[in-house]
Amino acid sequence: MTISVTGLTRRYRDQLALDDVTVDFEGPSITGLLGRNGAGKSTLMRIIANQEFASKGSVRVFGASPVENDAILRRMVFVREDQVFPDFKVQHALRAASWFYPNWNGELAEALLRDFDLPPNRAIKKLSRGMRSALGIVVGLAAQAEITLFDEPYAGLDAVARRMFYDRLLASYAANPSTVVLSTHLIDEVADLLERVVMIDHGRIVLDATADEVRGSATTVSGPIAAVEEFVAGRRTWDRRRIASQESVVVDGTLDDADWARARELRLNLEALSLQQVMVHAAGETSGDVHERTSA
Amino acid sequence: MSTYVNASRYRDVVRYHLVSRFNYAILPWAVLAFVFLIDVLVIELTPAGHTSHRWVGGLASVFVIGFVLGIQSAHRSLPFGLALGLSRRTYYLGTALLAVALAAIVGVLAAVGQEVERATNGWGINMGFFRVPYILNGPWYSTWLTSFVVLTFLYVYGMWVGLVYRRWNLIGMVAFVAAQVTVLVIAAIIVTGSHAWHRVGHFFTTVGAGGLTGLVAALAVVLLAGGFVTMRRVTV
Repeated sequence: MTISVTGLTRRYRDQLALDDVTVDFEGPSITGLLGRNGAGKSTLMRIIANQEFASKGSVRVFGASPVENDAILRRMVFVREDQVFPDFKVQHALRAASWFYPNWNGELAEALLRDFDLPPNRAIKKLSRGMRSALGIVVGLAAQAEITLFDEPYAGLDAVARRMFYDRLLASYAANPSTVVLSTHLIDEVADLLERVVMIDHGRIVLDATADEVRGSATTVSGPIAAVEEFVAGRRTWDRRRIASQESVVVDGTLDDADWARARELRLNLEALSLQQVMVHAAGETSGDVHERTSA
Repeated sequence: MSTYVNASRYRDVVRYHLVSRFNYAILPWAVLAFVFLIDVLVIELTPAGHTSHRWVGGLASVFVIGFVLGIQSAHRSLPFGLALGLSRRTYYLGTALLAVALAAIVGVLAAVGQEVERATNGWGINMGFFRVPYILNGPWYSTWLTSFVVLTFLYVYGMWVGLVYRRWNLIGMVAFVAAQVTVLVIAAIIVTGSHAWHRVGHFFTTVGAGGLTGLVAALAVVLLAGGFVTMRRVTV
């Protein structure tokens, strides 16, 4: 197992950031670590990258603890949104990175600098937020590490630059398959990239499945009220909406061929929920019992 | 194998701090040159009075910068250093190695500067820029050693200050300084209570530059250990 997290808990004075998290990341793969702000995504990644400490539980990377372990840490690159840099220039950050990552690809770094329009001679503190994010992305991709952790790496990046990031990430993954974990809340944008999704909410893993499973896991059924009601009878449903004589409702679970045939007969529209829609629903579902848990 | 990896990692930490030449290769020396010029100007412009030597102590500027660089290395430069996959231990020891190297160079500068100063009769104007009476006014090797130890001490102290600030922010910083002041005040109260001030004075007049250097070296070791303990649980 590339990254193995067991019973990981991180307690801050007034808050439980991670609550008994058990999850594995096996490479090569691109996994989306999804969740709302403050859900615990960054804390989990920071603990894996030895920037934060666990209160309880264990993290193994390549079979060993990453805590203060130079040999493990050099095989992993962690790009975070709020990275603090020393008072130096873009080129200095890249030169330093080239010394620390055994597989550093200098040509790729140069190409990415051009792609993102990053001036190598500019002081990092004078970069815009988006440019600083781009710098993090350049380091993360050019490092070609065995494990790449991206923690919302696109803050301040415009849509064009984000698209570029996704393209370059995929290209680099295709050339050099590794373990990539990408935390994000722009779920629909990255949906096509992800092979697997792990969702955290209030410090707990609430969903861990392949992207395909998640995509097929719920379907919106719409059409005339009577037909819709006939189709969904006996199924788990949510998010029922009615406009005039039309109704749309979300059906939980995978639909089989017979279901699709029946829907055609009833002249119903079926539309699989996007990753983002499933995630929003999953977040809504768990927040209720979480409140009970914390107030108990 | 692992020793080799570690040794090269320490070297990389040193290179990381030096990647922008400004902080270490330019700033201290530019400031020192600037202070030197200002001191020369001031001496030229002011009447000589009765003393044969005019002690300006300009060398102190480089020690102040050593302290500031120490703070910066442990505060501002730390997060990206850890992001590059360094363990705290490697980062800390590598940075301490840089401090020692910087201090050795400053020591050479102080020793050479002192000899030149003596040979030129204080740069022709009786200026004591590199020499400080009692502390930095002996043979070249003792000046080298004292400068080396004092700069290491200040840099390491700066590192600890930077780490305390990173771990506990302003409140921790205030508590850290308050604790040190408290120790000094308690020591002063004890000395006063036992009417021992003359013995303290006697100690400092007889201990000599070498003894003081040893004392500062011992303190530097304590600070280095304190910083290391603080570093072990620092988060970024």
